[in-house]
Amino acid sequence: MKYILMMNASKAHWDAYATWSKDDLDANVAFMRAFSKELKEQGVFVATEGLGWPQQAKIVRAGKDGEPVTDGIFPESKEFLAGYWIIDVESPEQAYRIAARASAAPGPGGTHGSMPIEVRQVLSGFADLGI
Amino acid sequence: MKYILLMAGTQAGVKTYRAWSKNDIDSHMAVLRRINKELTDSGEFVITEGLAGPDQARVVRGLKDGLPVTDGIFPESKEFLLGYWIVDVKTPERAYEIAAQICVAPGPDGRPTNMPIEVRQIMSRPATS
Repeated sequence: MKYILMMNASKAHWDAYATWSKDDLDANVAFMRAFSKELKEQGVFVATEGLGWPQQAKIVRAGKDGEPVTDGIFPESKEFLAGYWIIDVESPEQAYRIAARASAAPGPGGTHGSMPIEVRQVLSGFADLGI
Repeated sequence: MKYILLMAGTQAGVKTYRAWSKNDIDSHMAVLRRINKELTDSGEFVITEGLAGPDQARVVRGLKDGLPVTDGIFPESKEFLLGYWIVDVKTPERAYEIAAQICVAPGPDGRPTNMPIEVRQIMSRPATS
């Protein structure tokens, strides 16, 4: 069963992240690298990606002629996807245990993080659906 | 440059989708399949995934007594990721064009869904990672 572990954050959280010291950022990145390596060693790693800053986010709709109409204004409360992992595990409980590890990634000043991680099953995908 | 096209919706929106007729779902999927094929043919396709329904979503925050702390209660306004595409394109404008095509995929009675698509760049990472 494939599960996606998502980190979501408001713009205010992203802005706070931008003020972290270099040491704090390095510690966080080192944790993320070690975490991905650990998932690979356990044979559960499928993919991970980090997304660009919310300031660059655009919402796209189609205009009358089908041409893209973009908008970059979002409500302050909007949660932006910051990044995700996809893992292939035996049970949702295993996915939650792994998410709890990600949740504890170190924060500013080496504090023990408690970042919320949203966990959802990934469907078999378009390929498996024959699409 | 890799971009991610995110399709998100509230729980209410997902309930509406579940009420679509089989014909409407088939027509919608046929268009998504055609878009995937066109992106594959043009060499821009990286991956697409669909997520399970929001009713199964859990938020995990750390461990308590060695067990993950999970919560399945969300505000009604919460936008759940429903699925995404990653495309490898030359410009952001090309990513917006593809998003617009997804936006006009047909919904009930063949009318375009006009589903807004959030477009974000994927961060490149150092070769060492």
